[in-house]
Amino acid sequence: MSAPQSSSLSLARRVRGSDHLAGWAFTAPAIALIGLFSIFPIIWSVVLSFQHNDLLTPNARWVGWANYKQLASDPVFVKAITHTLIYTSLFVPLSIAIGVLVAVAMNRQVRFMSFYRMAVFITLAISTISTAIMFLWLTDPTYGIINSALHAVGIPLQGFLEDPNEALLVIVAMTVWGWLGFVVIIYLAALQGIPGELLEAASIDSASQWSIFRRITWPLLSPATLFLVVWLTINALQLFDEVYLTTRGGPLYSTTVIVYYLFDQAFNFFRAGLAAAAAYVLFLAILVVTVIQFWLGKRLVHYSS
Amino acid sequence: MRARVAILIAAAMLAGACTSNSQGSSGGPVKVLLWHGYEGQEKRSLDALVAEFNKTHPDIHVQAEFNAVNDHALQKVLTAVVGGVYPDISYLYGSWSANIQHSPITVPLNQFVKESSMNWNDFFPGERAAATVNGKIVGVPALVDNLAIVYNKKLFKDAGISYPTPDWTWDDFRAAASALTDASKQQFGWAYPADSTEDTVWHWEAMLWEAGGAILTPDNSRAAFDSPAGIKALTMLQDMAQDHSIYLDTTNTKIDQLFNSGKIGMVVTGPWALPSYPNVDYGTQIMPSFGGLNHQSIAGPDNWVIFNNGAERQKAAFEFVSWLTAPKQELKDSLATGHLPLRASVKRLPGYAQFPKKFSGISTFVNNLANVKQARPAVVAYPKISEALGQAIVSVLLGKSDARTALSQAAQQANAILAGQG
Repeated sequence: MSAPQSSSLSLARRVRGSDHLAGWAFTAPAIALIGLFSIFPIIWSVVLSFQHNDLLTPNARWVGWANYKQLASDPVFVKAITHTLIYTSLFVPLSIAIGVLVAVAMNRQVRFMSFYRMAVFITLAISTISTAIMFLWLTDPTYGIINSALHAVGIPLQGFLEDPNEALLVIVAMTVWGWLGFVVIIYLAALQGIPGELLEAASIDSASQWSIFRRITWPLLSPATLFLVVWLTINALQLFDEVYLTTRGGPLYSTTVIVYYLFDQAFNFFRAGLAAAAAYVLFLAILVVTVIQFWLGKRLVHYSS
Repeated sequence: MRARVAILIAAAMLAGACTSNSQGSSGGPVKVLLWHGYEGQEKRSLDALVAEFNKTHPDIHVQAEFNAVNDHALQKVLTAVVGGVYPDISYLYGSWSANIQHSPITVPLNQFVKESSMNWNDFFPGERAAATVNGKIVGVPALVDNLAIVYNKKLFKDAGISYPTPDWTWDDFRAAASALTDASKQQFGWAYPADSTEDTVWHWEAMLWEAGGAILTPDNSRAAFDSPAGIKALTMLQDMAQDHSIYLDTTNTKIDQLFNSGKIGMVVTGPWALPSYPNVDYGTQIMPSFGGLNHQSIAGPDNWVIFNNGAERQKAAFEFVSWLTAPKQELKDSLATGHLPLRASVKRLPGYAQFPKKFSGISTFVNNLANVKQARPAVVAYPKISEALGQAIVSVLLGKSDARTALSQAAQQANAILAGQG
C-alpha cells in the first residue's frame, strides 16, 4: 500500500517543483478561452451536422448522415463548390503574380517610393465594406466609371455584377485588390532578406535581369510564396464578406460560394444542421488542400540558412 | 511561489470570465430587457417613451438595448437562445413569426391579449395576420409599412406626362416608365431590387395579389403563384425589362441614392425610404392595378415578441408592450419618427392632424393601409419558397427565362419544399 502512495507523492513533488506547472498555469486562461470559442464550437458543429436543428426548438432530431446526403443532392451546393474552386484558382495565382511584381518594382530606391508604398499598403487599412461599396459603383453597368472608360474606347458595355457570367470575376478583382497590400508586405520583407552579394555576383557574371529573378530571387522567395499560397487559399475557400456585401450570392446563384451557402441555410432557412454539415465538408477540403500544399512545399521550397 | 501566484491569477481570470449573468428578482422593480434595432431619431423616440414608462410605472424597470440592425435581430436572438440568456422582448420581423412560434421560449399572447384592455382589433388586419400563426398570437405589432409609388415630379414634367393617379393601371405605369426612360441621360422610369431576396419577392407579391392571384393554396399545401394571374403579373415585369425602362439593382444597394440623384422616375417603396430623398421634389401615389380598381399593397408588419424569463417578467413585459402600443404613445412615436400609425384609432386622436403636415407624402401610405388585404403565408417553409420565387423573378428580369417557365419551375420547387423534400 505504501509504495504507490510514495511514488504518487514524489510525482506530485516533481510536478510542483518543476517549471511545468507554472507554464500550464500561465497559459491556462488562454487555453480556456480557445477551448470555449474554438474547440467547443468545432466539436458542437460535428454534433449539429448529424441533427435537424433550427436553433430555436430544443428537440433537435438525430438524423445520421441525412444532412450530408441532402448536400450531395442539392444543385445549389454543387454550384457553391464549383464557384469556390473557380474563385480560388483565380484569386490565389493572380494575387501571387501581381503581388510579386509590385513588390519587386518597389524594392528599389526611387523618388516618391514611400508614396507608392503607402498607396499599395492602404488596401490593407481599408475595410471590406468600403472596398465593396467602391467596387459596386465602379462596376455599375450604367453609372460606373469602368463602363464609361470602355465606352470611350469603343468596347461594348459590360453587365459586371448584373451579369451571371461576370459577377464572380468582379469579386475576384475586388478581393485581389483588397489583399494586394498584404501580399506585397510579405514579399517586400522576403526580398529584403535576399543577400545583396548574390545579386551582385550574378550581375557581374552578366546575368540578365530576368534570369536573376528567375534563378535567384524567385527561388529565395519560395518560403514566402508557400506561406502566401497556403494563407490565401484558406482565405479564398472561406470567401464570404465580399459576397455578402455585394451580390448576396446572385445573380442566379452565380456568386454563391460555400460559406455564403451555409450562412443562408443557417440564418435564412433555419437549417443549422445542414449548414454545419456544409461547414465540415469545407473543413475537410481545407485540410486536404493544406496538407497537399505543405507536401509540395517540402519538395519545391528552398530554405536558405 | 511563482507557480502559486500564476495559479491564483489564472483562477481569478477564469472566475471573472465565468461570472454568471445573474438577475436578482428579489426586491426592487421587475427588470425587463428589450432588444431593438433602432438608431437615430427612432431610437431617441423609443428611449423617451421607455423613460416615461419607467417614471410612471415604479414597479417595472425597462432597459432598452440596441441589439443589431433589425435585419440581424433573429441571428442575435437565436444565438442568445442557444446560450440560454435572452431578452424579455425583442423586435422581430413578421416574416419570422412562423419559425419563432415553434420555440418553447416564445410566449403565446392570446391569454394576455384577451385579459388586457389592449383592444386587439384596433390594430390593422394585415398587422394582426402577421402576428398570428395558426390562431396563436406570437407578437404585438411594432411597426407597419406598405408599398406605394414615390415619383420625381420634375422628371414627370420634363417628360411631359401627368402624375400617377389612383386609377392607374399597370399599363399606364409601364407607358409612363417608358416615357421617363432616357438612355442619353442615363435615366430610368423605374428601379427594381433584383438581388433575389425577400425584397425582390414582396414587390412582386403585391402585383400577384392585384392580378387576383395567391401565393399558396388556401390550405397552404401547394404553390398557387404559377396561376394565370401570376404569369400576368410576372409578364408585366418581363415586358418592362425588355423595354429597358427598369434599372435592375442586382445588389440592392443603389436604388435610393439613384432616385435621390434624379436618375429614376418612379420607385415602389415604403415610408421608411422617404427621408432618403431630400434632393427630390417627390409625390406619392398608391400602386397601380390590373384593372377593376383592385388595389392591393403588401405590408411587412414587425412585432414585439415576448420571451419566457418567468411569469413575473412576462407579465411586466406585456404590460410595457401594451402601454407602448396604446394610441397615445403610438401617436407620440409617429410624430417623432414618421412611423405609420399602427391602429385605426390613432387617426381619430386630435393631435393626428399634425402628422401628414409634418411628413410630406405620408398620407398616401396611411390611406394605403386599407389596401393591405392579405398577408404572406405564415408557414415555416416560407423563406425557402421566397428563395425559389426570388430566383424566378430575377431570371425573368435578366432575360434568362420567361414568366411561364420560371414560375412553373419555382412552383415545382415550392411544392417539393412544402412536401418536406426541399
